[in-house]
Amino acid sequence: MDKQTILQVYETMLTIRKFEEKALHLFEENKLRGSVHLSIGQEAVAAVVGAYLRDKDYITSTHRGHGHAIAKGARPDKAMAELMGRETGYCGGRGGSMHIADVEKGNLGANAIVGGGIPHANGAALSAQLRGTDQVAVSFFGDGAANEGIFHETLNIASIWKLPVIFICENNQYGMTTAVDSVTSVKDIAVRAAGYDMPGEVVDGNDVFAMEKAVKKAIKRAQDGEGPTLIEAKTYRWKGHWTGDPEVYRTRDEVEEWKTKCPIKRLEKHMQDKKILSLEQIEATHTKIDKLIDEAEEFALSSPDPDPATVLDNVYYEGDK
Amino acid sequence: MDIAAYDPLNETPYQILDAQGKVILDHWEQSLSDSELIEAFKNMLFVRQFDTMAISYQRQGRMYTYPPNLGQEALSVASGSVLQKTDWMVPSVREMGAWYMKGVSLKELFLYYRGHEIAQRFEQANRIMPITVPIASQIPHAAGVGYGIKFHGEKAVVLTFIGDGGTSEGDFHEALNFAAVWKVPLITVIQNNHYAISLPVHKQTASKTLAAKSLSYGMPGIRVDGNDYIAMHEVLSGSIDYARQGNGPVLIEALTYRRGAHTTSDDPKKYRTQEEEQEWEPKDPVNRLRSFLVHKNIWNPDEEAELIEGYRKEIDTQFLEAEQYPPHSLDDVFAYMFSELPPELEAQKQEYQDYLNATAQEPQK
Ligand SMILES: Cc1ncc(C[n+]2csc(CCOP(=O)(O)OP(=O)(O)O)c2C)c(N)n1
Ligand SMILES: Cc1ncc(C[n+]2csc(CCOP(=O)(O)OP(=O)(O)O)c2C)c(N)n1
Ligand SMILES: [Mg+2]
Ligand SMILES: [Mg+2]
Repeated sequence: MDKQTILQVYETMLTIRKFEEKALHLFEENKLRGSVHLSIGQEAVAAVVGAYLRDKDYITSTHRGHGHAIAKGARPDKAMAELMGRETGYCGGRGGSMHIADVEKGNLGANAIVGGGIPHANGAALSAQLRGTDQVAVSFFGDGAANEGIFHETLNIASIWKLPVIFICENNQYGMTTAVDSVTSVKDIAVRAAGYDMPGEVVDGNDVFAMEKAVKKAIKRAQDGEGPTLIEAKTYRWKGHWTGDPEVYRTRDEVEEWKTKCPIKRLEKHMQDKKILSLEQIEATHTKIDKLIDEAEEFALSSPDPDPATVLDNVYYEGDK
Repeated sequence: MDIAAYDPLNETPYQILDAQGKVILDHWEQSLSDSELIEAFKNMLFVRQFDTMAISYQRQGRMYTYPPNLGQEALSVASGSVLQKTDWMVPSVREMGAWYMKGVSLKELFLYYRGHEIAQRFEQANRIMPITVPIASQIPHAAGVGYGIKFHGEKAVVLTFIGDGGTSEGDFHEALNFAAVWKVPLITVIQNNHYAISLPVHKQTASKTLAAKSLSYGMPGIRVDGNDYIAMHEVLSGSIDYARQGNGPVLIEALTYRRGAHTTSDDPKKYRTQEEEQEWEPKDPVNRLRSFLVHKNIWNPDEEAELIEGYRKEIDTQFLEAEQYPPHSLDDVFAYMFSELPPELEAQKQEYQDYLNATAQEPQK
């Protein structure tokens, strides 16, 4: 990874982290309603993928999708406004936390239906294939989603048609309250690739360089017309499944153990060791991102709610007016 | 046979007999007795007669749509004969031989293909579920039955079938995942007959074998020549032993070929060549087992004509009995889904009854 990309990945991770910490704070203050699923601890996966995709490449995302959106170029202010249901949000405040779509940046949308976004990536990849472009599509989904039938149907077709698509399973060890090994028949979800004759790779999802290697290889394969790849990024969500999750299904020790594997701290240490950034520069980056997120908060808070009269807009396509 | 030792990616199927009925393995010991093999052969012949006659009845307008079994008899008869009475079977649609071996009567089958849902109670058979038309929906049911067996601490197993096409359904994935997580005694037999209606299997999956699907669930998977009765029997027995001992589920890919049409409403000429069909002729399961028995001097093919004559009479008798059965009433349409009919279905039923009453009063044209 070149220096510029390292810095980009770092700033992206930091933006995701601080964006979500802010979202949680706003939620606790009852300024942000609904539910937010935080990806704190998992930022490396989204950030690296985002760094190697171009705007014209596609992603589909999940209920835990703030990071994916930001990594794919979403602005924190418009994203925060969306979380708060404001008119200035990415979907005019209609989507909320689980439905940020940003088509200009190739984000085809988050999806609250577990596994729901996986086949959409196939569709985008098929479109790229038919149009003969070098675009690729990436689908993010969780370990829980890998047990859904739609995972199987999508990977099967992707491999038969050699679609330029990359399946990224963020195995954060739990699907809600359910530990992955209590509902998944294999230790590594990546082995499922074998059933479709596609490569499958297990990656330390908290290691940006391990992610880089896997993602670059998968993009090349997709662009060379060789078809899809399944990447399983082993990672961990630090926060509850949802805000207010009592987390009775796991131990404090387990959470603390994973916090020592923080992807951001790891990269900060690497950057210092390799003299890419000094401690002062790291602190300055924190300050810079803090400011960005404070501005996002202000933007969202000062944005208007949507006009109730428009509640039915954008539900059905009514033809070009 | 040690099922877990096989490589699911191995494209060469487990096979005992070649197309001429000769044993191809160097060190092979026959585990079935001669009389068991003769019995199996007769059952395959019988099933083939049933199949041929069912198509005729359908063509005569005396039966509804029927899915021909021609060419797939070895795997179905073997699957039915390895099960014990307390074992469960969860049918798909194209393994009549297995149902028959489990005790399903011909009369019930004919009734079913004449539209009588009640026939699927299969009163003569023990522990068999109804025939499943929605592709792959039987696999979650079978996994559930397996869970039940385990829950009750029984020593039974459950065996289910699916087509090559069915393996691409989400239900297949969800069910096999849970079967493996819970280590239920489930044997899933994929009938890879090379087509899902018109879609050839190479467009169905990119994987080299369908047995490879087992890798996704961490269960043993094996590709076997499904037209080789003896190989099929060995693989099934090994799988059932494995499952019965509590080791969990097994996936079997049985290679075969649907020599007939997909159903009586299909014309295979539209999507496959005659050359291909001819290629599969010599691999026919009935001919293969016959050759083996003849080589062993334990079967005289001259006796077959008379045997078949008797089978045809028996089949026709049962068909005529089914034909005598009173026509199904409107009740029959609504009877088997809910123990208590929900109001919207009650209303539909009434509406249809009113329609029937009204048309009954119209003068005949
Ligand atoms: C089809 C469907 N089933 C159930 C749910 C409820 N649900 C929301 S998130 C979730 C767990 C998803 O787990 P995983 O795929 O591992 O993603 P993670 O939350 O860990 O990121 C469930 C079951 C849903 N949204 N959609
Ligand atoms: C869920 C569902 N989709 C589609 C169909 C229509 N259909 C009936 S049989 C069939 C093909 C099945 O192929 P395969 O699984 O290979 O079984 P085979 O018919 O070859 O025995 C299809 C698509 C169906 N019955 N159920
Ligand atoms: Mg998860
Ligand atoms: Mg088939």
